[in-house]
Amino acid sequence: MSAPAARHPGELRWETRLLTVVTVTMVVFGIANTYGALSLQTAGGGGAGFALRQFVGAMLGLLGLSVVSRVDYHLWRRLAWPLFFATILLLLIPILPGTERIAPRIHGARRWVDIGPLNFQPSEIARLAIIVWCAALAAKKGVQVREFKKGVLPFLVGIGTVALLILGQPNLSMAILVTLLGLIVLFSAGAKIGHFILLGLGGLLLLFEKIQSAQYRVARLTTFLNPGEATAAAGMQIHQSLVGIGSGRVLGVGFGEGQQKLFLPFAYSDFIFSTIGEEWGFLGIVLVVVLFGLFLWLGMRIARSAPDPLGQFLAVGITAMIGITAVMHMAVSLALMPTTGLTLPFMSYGRSSLVISLVATGILINIGRMRGRPARKAAAE
Amino acid sequence: MARIHARIGLIQVVLVASLLGIVVRAAQVQLVMGGAYADEAAKSRTELRTLEARRGTLYDRGGLSMAVTQESYRVGIAPNEVEERTALIRVAARQLDVSASALKRDFARKPYLYFYGPFTATDVEPLRAFKGVHIEGVFLRFYPSQRLAGRVIGRMTPDGEAASGLERALGGLITGTPGEEVVLKDRRGRRYESPGRLRKDPIPGNDVVLTIDAELQDIAEQALAETVAEFSAQGGDILFLDPRTGEILAVASQKNGAPDLMAFTEPFEPGSTAKLFTAAALLTHERVDTSDRVDNEGGHWKMELSNGRTRAITDEHAKPGMLTMAQAIEVSSNVVMAKLSDRLTPVEQYQQLRDFGFGAPTGVELPSESRGIVYRPERWQPELDRVSVAMGYYFEVTVLQLAAAYAAIANDGILLTPTLVREVRAPDGTLLYRHQPEPVRRAVSSEVAAQLREFLRGASSVGGTGSRAQVGSYGVLGKTGTARRIRNGKYVNEYIASFASMFPADDPQLVVVVKIDGPTGGQFFGGEVAAPVVRMMLEQALASKRVSFDRARMLGGQAASATNAAPSRPQITRPAPSRVVMPWPLPADSADPGTVAVPPLVGLSVRAAAVALHRRGFEVSATGAGTVRGSNPAAGTAARMGSTVRLQVE
Repeated sequence: MSAPAARHPGELRWETRLLTVVTVTMVVFGIANTYGALSLQTAGGGGAGFALRQFVGAMLGLLGLSVVSRVDYHLWRRLAWPLFFATILLLLIPILPGTERIAPRIHGARRWVDIGPLNFQPSEIARLAIIVWCAALAAKKGVQVREFKKGVLPFLVGIGTVALLILGQPNLSMAILVTLLGLIVLFSAGAKIGHFILLGLGGLLLLFEKIQSAQYRVARLTTFLNPGEATAAAGMQIHQSLVGIGSGRVLGVGFGEGQQKLFLPFAYSDFIFSTIGEEWGFLGIVLVVVLFGLFLWLGMRIARSAPDPLGQFLAVGITAMIGITAVMHMAVSLALMPTTGLTLPFMSYGRSSLVISLVATGILINIGRMRGRPARKAAAE
Repeated sequence: MARIHARIGLIQVVLVASLLGIVVRAAQVQLVMGGAYADEAAKSRTELRTLEARRGTLYDRGGLSMAVTQESYRVGIAPNEVEERTALIRVAARQLDVSASALKRDFARKPYLYFYGPFTATDVEPLRAFKGVHIEGVFLRFYPSQRLAGRVIGRMTPDGEAASGLERALGGLITGTPGEEVVLKDRRGRRYESPGRLRKDPIPGNDVVLTIDAELQDIAEQALAETVAEFSAQGGDILFLDPRTGEILAVASQKNGAPDLMAFTEPFEPGSTAKLFTAAALLTHERVDTSDRVDNEGGHWKMELSNGRTRAITDEHAKPGMLTMAQAIEVSSNVVMAKLSDRLTPVEQYQQLRDFGFGAPTGVELPSESRGIVYRPERWQPELDRVSVAMGYYFEVTVLQLAAAYAAIANDGILLTPTLVREVRAPDGTLLYRHQPEPVRRAVSSEVAAQLREFLRGASSVGGTGSRAQVGSYGVLGKTGTARRIRNGKYVNEYIASFASMFPADDPQLVVVVKIDGPTGGQFFGGEVAAPVVRMMLEQALASKRVSFDRARMLGGQAASATNAAPSRPQITRPAPSRVVMPWPLPADSADPGTVAVPPLVGLSVRAAAVALHRRGFEVSATGAGTVRGSNPAAGTAARMGSTVRLQVE
């Protein structure tokens, strides 16, 4: 580990400030588009009702962000294991029989847990928990991650457990995402490329078997591979999304003016990017991509100059979480990927996702703030 | 640390490259293919909805509605959208006439409640204020006078298509033009609750005033039903026609519950009512003098045929002796008519029948009418068929054709197209069409027509076969007919009793044809079965306030004796259509009476061309349906009546 650069603590704060600005911009843009995507809807209070609920979520999330950004991120090392087990417990709720009351089946899957005032998706928490757990473990193991038995295998067990639990909901895309995020942390920690190649092959086999087992996934996948042939059912979603984005052209049809939301399922969450593309046009898409690009650049900057491996791994994981989720969401909307239920971070309607994303950003900001300070933990190691 | 930095860099590069990929793909979708997608979006999101046009009303000639379209409403309630539940249940129960408790139960149980109705505007008005109530307007066709003239007017199928009768025949005239509306819809094809954009207003259909007189129609239907029941007949038809205009005032048909208008569609051999047409030919060609007398052989004549066999011809009503033609028609002597037919060639007989419109559609608005059957003279067996035709056999006519032919005799020899449509009015009331008499041709000269009416006077006077038709002092002119029916090619002892008549005797205003199929119970002569029906109906019609006789004209002819027969009533004023005066026939078609000039047809529709040719007595052959480019023989060429004109169709 190289010695931390001697910089003035305040000198580097612009990155964290810009990150905050980018994040808040995305959240505000998201709330506006939640309203716009629901402009033709009357159920559930209409666009205003959804936007209000999203606003409440954003307030909660921003509160979480400001709290977490002031808490030393080393706290997460201690929280890693408790968080991991708590996540597994939460993920067990929707899988276990007899829990229908608090984890109802919605649209053929049990992804929500509803306990009193709390109503959230445990898999969203798992997304962050797996990063924290992997980062903490990788930081602890150090160069040991280059071994298989003592290095890679424990990660695989942990990631695999969480991913399988998520798969049981069922929620394939989130399982893949969680696996991917865990492996990215492992990768950035220096695990051997050869292990990844082996893992990738095994994963593909598993994935293929898993995809084949679920009819709706087969439909989505074959549609994706051959969109012309099956525009009737599954390809309809992808096609409608393309039609919406395409008809936005350069400047878009105007905020709230898009009509394609009538044809898209969950136009305010799973297909918010499609709605943005339609209503804001190519310019809107470029804006969104630039915002995520900025986030990525800042996140990776913070990761690279983090004071210790824990900070680095956490920062890479969190940045990748936001970036990969965003890319996957956008790719689905543009028919570059089979349909998934992934939301666009900060922008899609959905408070679980929003709060988790904001809290994760809080961690990232804290890492950014820390890097001007003496690396006390690094020195300790 | 260096490895970590490199790997972070790699992750960053992959993610940034992905983002760039997204931008490239978005550029392709939005900038390159955007136009096509925008077009597709516009198409798939909107739905062109047809706005039904209101169908025109059908009135009888006196303005009585016979078929009316009313906007009615059906009501749907979506319980999950309802906010004021109890209030709605209370109001809906009252307005839709359902029990509140059943409604309450359905509210809890069913996702959507539908009340088929139909409800009136006042029924549904209080429900409009509630959320979750969906009111759907539909146009429904009502027939206020119930079954009256049902066979003429026709009916609609439940899904709003015209199924039969005038409803169908009047077609686009009363359907109006549907409008268009563009509505947004979502992926499930549901129309969104946003106001549709109106593209085209629906244009309501025109109102049509029929020539039917509801009162006379009622009289005819009642009389027909009573007569059919009285004689246990299989069925029958009654038709009232105004000879001066060709307007059909009433038409009733009844047969074994079949829904057709048999008076238009079912031809029959007319029997003695057709003797007048042979008489017309004899007079026209001056083959008989009114003073000529012919022996009726005591009512039984064995006609000798050239092959040595004989054909027995019998008179049913005649007393033996030498008869003038007037007397022959008076007593309906088959023997005399058979003998006289020898003085005509088959072509002359045939042409006379065609002149009276037999063997061709009359051109009435119902396209289902039959053209009847008149065989070409070349097919006639010499000796046999000319005799048959003279007695009213070997050709078939519809009741409508028979009435139109008698109307020609009443109308000084000019055959008019019978019609059911008197007026067409646009929805705003402007008159679009008013029926004017449509002459087809001169069937006989005015003098011959007058002579034929004199024959009829004899036939329906005391001693004539139609004497039972007489009404008070006005006088009815008429000829009875009793035709044997053919079953499987053989004449059987089953009869069609008919009576074709005009009223009043002087200056006829009505032609009435009554035909009763297969009367049983010993009575089957037209004079016994059909003629009394005419009297009964005319008496009822005269007593009615509504039936529009031109009583002034009737009084003009019967000034002295009017008081006891026709009670003085306020006369219904209507413009008496002036007697048709026109140069007729048109400038000589050709010298040869058996030939007619082919009319100019180019530019006409096949249908119109066929009508024009049929009216002139031609057969038509055409392939396809479109505009006529030419004909063979060409327009202006003299061609034999009954010959075929081929149409060249585009």
